[in-house]
Amino acid sequence: MTLNIAVLALLATMGLALIRAVKGPTVYDRILASNAFSTKTVLLISVLGFVTGEAELYLDIALMYALIGFISTVAVLKVSEFGDLGQPRPDSLEESP
Amino acid sequence: MSPGLAIFSGILLLTGALFTVVGGVGILRMPDVFTRMHAAGITDTIGAGTTIAGLMLIAGWNLLLVKLAIVLLFLLLLNPTASHALARAAIHGARRPWLGGPGDSQ
Amino acid sequence: MIELVNFVLLGLLAVTALAAIRLHDLFAVTMMFGIYSLLAAVVFVVLDAVDVAFTEAAVGVGISTILMLATIGLVGRQERRPSHRPLLPLAVVIVTGAALVYGTLDMPGFGDPDAPVQRHVAPRYLEQSPEEIGIPNVVTVVLASYRGYDTLGELTVIFTAGVGILALLGLRRRRPSTQPTEQEKT
Repeated sequence: MTLNIAVLALLATMGLALIRAVKGPTVYDRILASNAFSTKTVLLISVLGFVTGEAELYLDIALMYALIGFISTVAVLKVSEFGDLGQPRPDSLEESP
Repeated sequence: MSPGLAIFSGILLLTGALFTVVGGVGILRMPDVFTRMHAAGITDTIGAGTTIAGLMLIAGWNLLLVKLAIVLLFLLLLNPTASHALARAAIHGARRPWLGGPGDSQ
Repeated sequence: MIELVNFVLLGLLAVTALAAIRLHDLFAVTMMFGIYSLLAAVVFVVLDAVDVAFTEAAVGVGISTILMLATIGLVGRQERRPSHRPLLPLAVVIVTGAALVYGTLDMPGFGDPDAPVQRHVAPRYLEQSPEEIGIPNVVTVVLASYRGYDTLGELTVIFTAGVGILALLGLRRRRPSTQPTEQEKT
């Protein structure tokens, strides 16, 4: 029962984060919403593992998602700060004030 | 699973659900990116922590407990790192924290 | 409960796809694709296709996000306005989609046990895989053992595509700073 409530709460939060990712307004809001979304995905998979009773498999996936979400967030931030994935460039594509 | 453990795990899961939703509402309603980061931090720390603690109590003493502990460890290590990088990128992108009071609009 | 989760996840998928189409900042579109991959992976997990979910997460959230970001670093992050009105392509897509939906009407129902696909090799996979392979998840058995060569071929294709994209993106030296600065409009 409480597991179902936790699943519903996580789904609701995913929806709220998705609305923020769609609305923006800046690129940092979208990155923040996307990162929150990946955290919620990890939690949702963990809880769903206990709902369906196959927690062994689901937790492996949750572990991998935690790592991959972090990698993609850091890559996105690197691009947003430097303009590409390599060295900083003077004409980087940052937002102007 | 003993009834006391079940009740305690249910309380932890409900607390996690509550804080997760509160953080989600904060992500949607807060006025600028830094305050939204603050709201997202609620879901990443206490929301995730209590939810996974509740699941740990259901799992009992076996490999599942270890896996859940590693998931929690990763979340607690990686999310502050990502938040820090995000705040740094936002500051470098010439975003300034919103310093208005309640009732102001940005 | 699982049906409700499926409904919500598919609804969120639809919202994400529409948002990815409507947005013009390619950076934001990349974020939308990341969210889309996460959602699709959860759907795969709920459908018990664990390996497909692994692949979707690694490729969709990890590699393809990073490749798209590297591309954005090369080409800039604003979508160019289309020079013509896309009415003819829209008509073609609608007609094709209608034909495909009409074609699905003759197919057997979802999960129908009498469908041809369920009566050909699926019973043998379901019955024999514990003795023959010994892996509990049937999707894993089919992907990694019964169709192992197929999976190997797919891996070769994906690896070749990755190497090709990296060659396109990264072999040239970084250009000196001649590009004009692009402002973001969000």
